[in-house]
Amino acid sequence: MADHKLRCEVVSPERVVYSGEANMVVARGIEGELGIMSHHIPIITPLEIGELRVKHDNEQEHIAVMGGYLEFREDKVTVLADAAELASQIDVARAEKKKEERERQLAEAKAGDEGLVGAEISLRKALLRLKVAGRVK
Amino acid sequence: MSKARAVLGRIKSVEKTRQITKTMEMVAAAKIKRAQARIESARPYAIKMVEVLNNIAEYVGPDSHPLLKVHDPIQNVVIVPITSNRGLCGAFNMNILRQSEALYRQEVAEGRNVKFLAIGRKGVGYLRFTGYDLLAAHTEFSDKPTFVEAKVIADRLVEMYLEGTLDKVYLVFNHFKSVMEQKPMIHQLLPIKQEEITDAAAEKKQEAGYEFEPDAVSVLYDLLPRYIDTVVLRALMESAASEQAARRTAMKNATDSAGDMIENLTRWYNRARQAQITQEIAEIVGGANALQEA
Repeated sequence: MADHKLRCEVVSPERVVYSGEANMVVARGIEGELGIMSHHIPIITPLEIGELRVKHDNEQEHIAVMGGYLEFREDKVTVLADAAELASQIDVARAEKKKEERERQLAEAKAGDEGLVGAEISLRKALLRLKVAGRVK
Repeated sequence: MSKARAVLGRIKSVEKTRQITKTMEMVAAAKIKRAQARIESARPYAIKMVEVLNNIAEYVGPDSHPLLKVHDPIQNVVIVPITSNRGLCGAFNMNILRQSEALYRQEVAEGRNVKFLAIGRKGVGYLRFTGYDLLAAHTEFSDKPTFVEAKVIADRLVEMYLEGTLDKVYLVFNHFKSVMEQKPMIHQLLPIKQEEITDAAAEKKQEAGYEFEPDAVSVLYDLLPRYIDTVVLRALMESAASEQAARRTAMKNATDSAGDMIENLTRWYNRARQAQITQEIAEIVGGANALQEA
């Protein structure tokens, strides 16, 4: 099945982030990781804040996806991301700063605080950016 | 001759104004292209979104989401006029405000309680001054609308709709038809019209037996608010592009009329100058003649 390719497209509301061929696409759905290869059953699922891996031959593209949707149909994966960045596009310094900021904020915050959820989501995004950015080095 | 001097000063001043309007025209022209490109790059997402919604709509009943449900009775209406933060763009803002006011009167006539959620400094200023009831005012948006900005507005409206404190929402914005033409448009944002998301479904063959994770209804629940976000983003982007196009047209007209004005003033000035010279000659000749005769 290795010679079966599928198309993969990642779009955010503002632009097309990635478009290319792939052997397999691995994403973090809200029900867990899922890998999609050619001839997968058509599927629609929401995505967590997580890494999207696009495997193509021996290469792998890592994309940070900040939540959204994945649709697979007719050998084409479409990711409707709320926001997405390729590993190479990530601003590591900024993510690092955000992470520290949020960690401090969370450490100081008491349970039930307003904005706690927002801070946590923000922290998760920062961590994801760092993780994905770390993949290409 | 003080009048001729004044005209000379006037010509200079108009020339300077023309320089400014000319520059603004060129800046706007450059910005249109970028704004257009932004609309273009947002298109794939929007198209895909509608496609996915279409697919889900086949599986889920039409009344299955509160954002699709028409409230009864309709009491509270919100109108969202999208205007610009800056002026000098012709009738751009006034068109929107006029349409919004007409819509306001129409809804009030039906006994509804109408409020505005104004976007753009121009609209906010006008509506406040005229004394309308503002639900919120957003003047902080840039001329490059982002998803986050759209989300701020959309989420608030969706939340109110779900609470039931809001029964209908209209967007009023300039639709970017082309560089030459922008048209004010009224779009019903909430409730979402059925045909909007099921439109293309009819022609699509039932080829895909979808699997939904976790299930179709929860996917729809998650997707529809996002759809609202994209509709708002789209309106903001269209408006931003239209603003630049309107400004370019307005500035082009201003540049042209400055040119006409300079031409007329120069003509007047030359005529006055010539008349003066003629008169001086006549005086000299007259004087010389008088001397000869004496």
